[in-house]
Amino acid sequence: MSLQIEGVYLAPGSSQSQKGRVELVQEELSLYLEGSNAPHRCCDFGDCEQGEVLAGLAVELRFGDGGLFTPDDVRFRWPQTSGGQRALHWLEGHWSAVLAGVLVVPLFLWVMVTKALPAAADASVSLLPDAVPRQLGEQTLYLLDKTLMDPSELSETQQERVRGQWQHSLQHLSLDSNHYQLLFRSSKMGANAFALPDGTVVLTDEIVTLMENEPNALTAVLLHEIGHVEHQHGLKQLARATANSVLFAMLLGDIEGAGEVIIGAGSSLINSVFSREMESEADHFAHQQLKRLGLSPIHFATAMRLLAESSHQSLDEESSGHWTQYLSTHPETRERIHAAEDAVNPEEGEQ
Amino acid sequence: MEPNYENYSLTELVDALAQVDERAFPERAARLKQLIAEKHQQEAQVTAEREAIFSKEARKAPFEFTGSGGDYFKLWIVNLLLSIVTLGIYSAWAKVRNNQYLLGHTKLEGHSFRYLAKPMQILKGRIIAVAVLIGFTVLSQLSPLAGMLFSLGLLVATPWLILQGMRFSMRMTAYKNVRFSFEGSYFGLLATFVLLPIVGAFTLYLAMPWVFKKMDQYLYSHTTYGGKRFEVNTSSGSYYKASFAGLGLGFVLFIALFTVLGVGEGIASFNAEGEPDFQLIPILMFYAGAFLVSFMVRALYQSIVLNHLIGETQIEGVFSFKPEIKTGSFMRMMTINAVMLACTLGLAYPVTQVRKLKYMTNAIGVMLLPGADALTNTVGEGDSAFGEEAAGLFDLDLSIT
Repeated sequence: MSLQIEGVYLAPGSSQSQKGRVELVQEELSLYLEGSNAPHRCCDFGDCEQGEVLAGLAVELRFGDGGLFTPDDVRFRWPQTSGGQRALHWLEGHWSAVLAGVLVVPLFLWVMVTKALPAAADASVSLLPDAVPRQLGEQTLYLLDKTLMDPSELSETQQERVRGQWQHSLQHLSLDSNHYQLLFRSSKMGANAFALPDGTVVLTDEIVTLMENEPNALTAVLLHEIGHVEHQHGLKQLARATANSVLFAMLLGDIEGAGEVIIGAGSSLINSVFSREMESEADHFAHQQLKRLGLSPIHFATAMRLLAESSHQSLDEESSGHWTQYLSTHPETRERIHAAEDAVNPEEGEQ
Repeated sequence: MEPNYENYSLTELVDALAQVDERAFPERAARLKQLIAEKHQQEAQVTAEREAIFSKEARKAPFEFTGSGGDYFKLWIVNLLLSIVTLGIYSAWAKVRNNQYLLGHTKLEGHSFRYLAKPMQILKGRIIAVAVLIGFTVLSQLSPLAGMLFSLGLLVATPWLILQGMRFSMRMTAYKNVRFSFEGSYFGLLATFVLLPIVGAFTLYLAMPWVFKKMDQYLYSHTTYGGKRFEVNTSSGSYYKASFAGLGLGFVLFIALFTVLGVGEGIASFNAEGEPDFQLIPILMFYAGAFLVSFMVRALYQSIVLNHLIGETQIEGVFSFKPEIKTGSFMRMMTINAVMLACTLGLAYPVTQVRKLKYMTNAIGVMLLPGADALTNTVGEGDSAFGEEAAGLFDLDLSIT
């Protein structure tokens, strides 16, 4: 091995540059500066460090003391360039690798975000100690009480009637009644019901009065909320959101700018898809449990109709386009009603 | 008795002329005027001589960006691919290669700038920062109170994170064999980056341009090269000019946008029915328009501020700048970049970066003085990347370009 290469030498820690040339004989490296026949310095080639191989840039050679030699020829390669460096440079120089990148990056992200991450996040939920959902439930309830909700104005008899239904359902479905708690609140949210991860189910006064004449519809609503708790939806959503934000923080270290906006929009889209899946899952739970109580899933359809009317939603077929589904956190009311009706007669519904 | 004007300075002469009653002492006034003219000539001569010496010693150094959009795109997409398939681990190597490409192709007098950080430094920093981020996310979801305390802690740590981030990225940047550095202090950064913006907000944001000036001034004047500090002599005027120009342009363009798209109608149909009746096309058009407008406003602001800031920054005896960033051409360049980003869903990012760097190196003249050749490095190696990585993750990243 013997070679000569012209370049520029910078002394360690200095801003002065001098033209020079490096001669390499076997492992012996000698640096000659312009205008001098005696070598400026000699050392073992193995003690020097090579810079990165990058398109259009010369590969610098760093001496042990920080001295720096940069060849004039940007295509020059030092002997013993590491295999990794050569492979990277090959990848970064070929359009086939680039094409693979353009195709694989979105595909890989898609699989990660829709399959791998949710599975990992859901699995991690079962590892959480009981204190986590309890804390989460208490804190959320506290915040809601401070902001959106006031104490219930329902009469004792009204509340007792609903509590009776609730206890009846829990007993017949052999659910642990210590794990569940029913609360009444008056609220600016209108007719609504929601479940917290610790098993607390909250009914607003408005939904109770709305379904006063349809007690079975209210049971369907309660079962839907219990479904959320049984499937640990709250915790799963939390775990998935955390996993997503960490993944994006890791990946986006270097993709600034517009990439972030696009991927951010993508992830909120995925979140709303997930949240619609959870709603459907809770709906299905409600249909099944209504049957076990000896009731028809049609009561769930009734509940949905009442809720839609109370919020002045129209159920016309033409009222909204298809793509709005992707932005919504809940499935379309019409579809939910159809699903409940189909569940009445499984053979017809599952064709 | 006429006073002896020979020994008066120029300002004293002008003062004297203003006080002389010209009708009562015409000779005196004439004599004063003559002396003032002579003094003016003398001063012009001195300045000319000084400039002649300066131009003999100072040399305009060729400053250029030699990278190509195609090459950088290949490097960027391969980096992205490897980062994703290694679940982010490679992103530390990606960052180093990205910076080495961009800085390596930025050449002053034919010598490259260099990025010296090692991937392992960045990876370690990233792992710690991600651990903190996970802790923060989980904690703030479980208990809003703990989340608030954590946010408060983050506010206290902000100056420290900025300091570490700036120090790291400056120290890892070198020109020739001499490193840059950043010598800000915790309390200086606290005052400039946490307290001043709060003060600015209390003045109905009227003081904000002044706050921005203070921030830029702090960052630049605490940056050193070869142990010498940058001097920054910015004035608030240019920041106010830039801010008002930006606000004005933004106002006009948004009105134009609303008029063209008739978004008012869209909102009306939203309320008419109970269910939101979205119209996809106008909304997308509006977002694209708003994206473009925000780019143009930013470009207008930056062209004015950068021209002023870079022109007023120097290291005495080492170098100074002669920026010639023209608002029109800068805005054209940035607007085309924005259109390219929007049309390719962000894939054109590397190409837009190269276009911007080519424009900037072309528009900024660098004057080197003899001191530039005699600098020695004063900065050591040992530095952790945690500060910079944490700052980046919590969106506090402050870059100087």
